[in-house]
Amino acid sequence: MTLLRTHALTAGYGPVTVLHGLDIEVAQGEIVVVLGANGAGKTTTMRAISGTIPRGGTVEFEGVEVHKAGADTIVRAGIAQVPQGRGTFPELSVEDNLRAGAFVRTDGNSSIAADMQRWFGVFPRLAERRSQRAGSLSGGEQQMLAIARALMSRPKLLLCDEPSMGLAPLITQELFHVIQQLNKEEGLSVLLVEQNANLAMHMAHRVYLLETGTIVASGSAAELSADDAIRKAYLGF
Amino acid sequence: MELFLQRLVDGLSEGSIYALLALGLVIIYRGTGHLNFAQGEMALFSAYCVYQFGEWDIPIGIAVIMGMAVGFLIGATAEVALVRPIAKKSPFAVFIVTIGLFQFLNWLDGAIWGGQQLPNTGVGSKQPRFPHLFPSADTDFVRIFGAEITIKSLGTIGLVLVITAALFLVFNRTKLGLAMRAVASNADSAKLVGIRTSTVLMVSWGMAAAIGALGGVVTAGNAQSVSQSLMFQVFIYASAAATLGGFDSPGGAVIGGLTIGVIQNLAAGYAPDWVGQEMKVGVSFLVIVAVLLFRPSGLFGTAKVERV
Repeated sequence: MTLLRTHALTAGYGPVTVLHGLDIEVAQGEIVVVLGANGAGKTTTMRAISGTIPRGGTVEFEGVEVHKAGADTIVRAGIAQVPQGRGTFPELSVEDNLRAGAFVRTDGNSSIAADMQRWFGVFPRLAERRSQRAGSLSGGEQQMLAIARALMSRPKLLLCDEPSMGLAPLITQELFHVIQQLNKEEGLSVLLVEQNANLAMHMAHRVYLLETGTIVASGSAAELSADDAIRKAYLGF
Repeated sequence: MELFLQRLVDGLSEGSIYALLALGLVIIYRGTGHLNFAQGEMALFSAYCVYQFGEWDIPIGIAVIMGMAVGFLIGATAEVALVRPIAKKSPFAVFIVTIGLFQFLNWLDGAIWGGQQLPNTGVGSKQPRFPHLFPSADTDFVRIFGAEITIKSLGTIGLVLVITAALFLVFNRTKLGLAMRAVASNADSAKLVGIRTSTVLMVSWGMAAAIGALGGVVTAGNAQSVSQSLMFQVFIYASAAATLGGFDSPGGAVIGGLTIGVIQNLAAGYAPDWVGQEMKVGVSFLVIVAVLLFRPSGLFGTAKVERV
């Protein structure tokens, strides 16, 4: 079943158009990776879907058109974005960051607290720092916090914007492992944009290649790595 | 000793008013990064309304709550109708817009209530003087260590403490407070967790003006009248209080306000020859300049640091 479908998605900043009509699909339970170099439009794609910038074309989520909705409606519909560069609330404590992540939920404080415990179990380093300001965490911890915060809204689809940026490969692996686990065990669907092809390809069910705002190739990870030209250009081997 | 205590309490009481307006400035600044130049005039409009409610025989306790509601409406409307559309074009222009709002509100006061001090028997006011929130007759004082401490001073200080405690609870224990702190910390991410940032900003402006309205009513009560120039100086001291405490710290605004009130009163009281009533402004500004040289973000303000 298709969870997310964009058709002819366009977006940009002021007079500059960055996305030139993207068709992207994410099926229920899928991890889809969009690979692209700097400036290809990865972040713009994320922001166009999450409704934080004006966009054209259509975005359907669970068969409902959401491209006219604001960012807060998109979150309520079940799409949570982990922004590029973590985007935590630096002045707020780790716990308050997570509480803010649950802002759209209406199922009561006790189940929100239970979820918080759950993510502390997945990310023990956050549990140790639960009353510290988010701004005092290391880059890797902030990225964990950003992911946990997004998960606090109990999303159906998680958007991840370059989670590996600025992190040691080992920490990136750890994060990707958590995302994979969530996908396998809970059926969480994930749309992840990355520059770091090697790590991201491993966990992707399907991959799109993004070049200057246009999808130039798509397919399974195996199909794309079998293509010589693509392998050389994006995977470096 | 008695004199010192008396000056101290007078200073705290005066400072409490600065604190109320400074709190409003800080709430708005945290949300949008704007200095609301019209903060004092919003409070003044509310004070004029409270005078009007008094003319309609509404007791001061109810009138002040109605005045705060009027303040909330003015603040919220200003954010939606003026600040929001302009901020999209240029953040700096917002400052100019709040100066415009300052002038507009002051003109509006004059247009509705005239240029004279109110209450005024000349225009048929029924009230003998602008009502005070607290008992303020000459006999309403308590003796502490020989010093005559007026009830209205104690009441004003208590009022600020109650408002500060209430704000603390709102910020730290409610969903609205969490949203306000999140927007202040990172507005883009606040949107991503589903917070309607525009609603939060509207409420912030409303709250700021409502709290400021209290400051306006107490100022008018102390002066026993309301007039168009009532809030000019108070606003300047309030801005100074917010600067001293740190523009992003509500607690700092309160401590900043109280500090300025106390410094002014002690300086004017103990060095009347070279400070006196006229120059007491100067002393507090000297202190502020000294503080800012060492702590540019104010005593309790946070210098923005971010690790990536």
